[in-house]
Amino acid sequence: MAYTIFAASSMVVYIALGTLLHLQFGRTGMVNFGVVGFVGIGMYGFGILVSRYELPVVVALVLATLITTLLAAILGWLILDLDGEAVLVATLAFATIVYYLTVTQKDLTGGVAGLGGIPYPIDVGLDSALALLVILIFVALLFLGYAHRLGRVPYGRLLASIKDNEPLARSLGKSTFREKLIFFSITSGMMGLVGALYASTNQFLVPRMLAAGLTFTVWIALTLGGRAKVLGAVVGVLISVALFDLVIEPFLPVPRWVGALMPDLQLMFYGLILVTVILFRPLGLLGGRQKAQRS
Amino acid sequence: MIDAIVIGLIESAPIILAAVGFTLIYYLSGFINIAYAETLTVGAYVAVVFNTMLGWSFYASLFPVALLSGLFSVLTYLLVFRPAINRGVGPVEMIVLGVGLSFLLRHAVRVGFGVESYQIDLAGTSYLSVLGTGITSSQIVSLALVAMVAVGLYLLIYRTNQGGRIRALASNEPLALVSGIDPRKVAVLVWFLAGIVGGLAGAFTASFSFVDYEVGWDMILILIMIAIIGGIGSVRGAIIAGLAVGLVTAVVTLQTGSPIYAQVALLALFILTLRLKKTLPLKKILRLNLSGRSILKWGS
Repeated sequence: MAYTIFAASSMVVYIALGTLLHLQFGRTGMVNFGVVGFVGIGMYGFGILVSRYELPVVVALVLATLITTLLAAILGWLILDLDGEAVLVATLAFATIVYYLTVTQKDLTGGVAGLGGIPYPIDVGLDSALALLVILIFVALLFLGYAHRLGRVPYGRLLASIKDNEPLARSLGKSTFREKLIFFSITSGMMGLVGALYASTNQFLVPRMLAAGLTFTVWIALTLGGRAKVLGAVVGVLISVALFDLVIEPFLPVPRWVGALMPDLQLMFYGLILVTVILFRPLGLLGGRQKAQRS
Repeated sequence: MIDAIVIGLIESAPIILAAVGFTLIYYLSGFINIAYAETLTVGAYVAVVFNTMLGWSFYASLFPVALLSGLFSVLTYLLVFRPAINRGVGPVEMIVLGVGLSFLLRHAVRVGFGVESYQIDLAGTSYLSVLGTGITSSQIVSLALVAMVAVGLYLLIYRTNQGGRIRALASNEPLALVSGIDPRKVAVLVWFLAGIVGGLAGAFTASFSFVDYEVGWDMILILIMIAIIGGIGSVRGAIIAGLAVGLVTAVVTLQTGSPIYAQVALLALFILTLRLKKTLPLKKILRLNLSGRSILKWGS
């Protein structure tokens, strides 16, 4: 049961992050390859605030989110007016810096030995993990609802215009850089919030959790499902992460030697399915058959 | 300080080689090929197979390394990337595609070779002292070989007809096409060359430390950074930026005693460089970027 709750929590975390990435990339065209960096700041920010400084959980959650938002704003201010590839590499570099710093700043993060003693946000005894799962689902639904609503309001059309033709949007008097910066900071800050909650799910933080694999898993899920679709991340996570963690791993009887290779086979499978989807359905499974537009 | 320069030169040698190969593909095909990491890995593992399993000397095994990683690179182009280009996959999706291919291949290597790391057997290595810094004879040989390959590649691109075709196709495709250049042949040639230098870079990296399934992946971020700092598509720029990266890494590592701070400094420097390049006037960027394929071309 504990495993199922943990696996389901991870799943919901991936969906929440995928939906935020959908807002950043699918809706606004900002190529954030540093998802795990923002998650990591939220995660370790929260962990350090509650375990080292013993702040109340809610205060730490808010602070961790604010810190992430602020750092995202600084990074965004430096890079968001550059072209897509520069943003991609800079965010990837940023996430790598965060990862390295969690290793080196042992006084704060515990280094590779890890940072423990992170409480659940709501302490209801044995059901605390379940309560956290409910909170995570609520947060993910909030993001999904926002993404859905964004398709119907002028602000969503403004973001779409930035994605499709930024010079045109600028010529119409929209300050596109400012809009991108604000949107990027807030959505990245929300990644920090998800990271902070995920810190509670894990209870114990090690730098390895901040390896680039998390970013790529989220990207793979979103690309699979369809980056421009509200439910893209949900579908993508269900057919990639969930299929393995919730169905195959617990229920499919495999010989022991296959079991040992399972994590690698899983990542091979992700890679294969990603290549296939981009070649044959560039807009993802939900995205229809038309060719991707050159952006 | 001198030992920092010597170490920096040696450590950056394979990185420069790989950066040149990476830049070539970027130059001609116009996208960031993340799966290039696996070309390095293929080179390293071919060296391991021939050297430790079949008993060849490391230098003899460089020939199969070059051939097989060149073929591997061409195969990834023909089977995955060219179909994707033909289907009009956008630049960002090309990167995601490369990530997918990379995941597939990297973990296939891990399934095939296991989690353990391998060591290249460098028989007959002796230790020397150069300007007060201890290095091995094999490091000097590697350095010389890297320099030879880099110079050869440089001459090929800037001094021969084939190289002229490559540059023509990269800088003005329509004009190159009406001049009768066959884009498919040139592309296969470029991917083959890039594969050769990538594989050699992987093998040299392997000979300096050890080989595991992430040997290429660990280098890819730095390769992308070098390619972008050097001016996308400029082979000269890649060589200069690669040297600079190697020296910065070595100096910061010696000063702080930790290679991790060097990485952090490098990444921060990279973000600032991007910033700086953006604020320079357009003409200057084009001049820095000797090839003419400007990073500004990729604007939204």
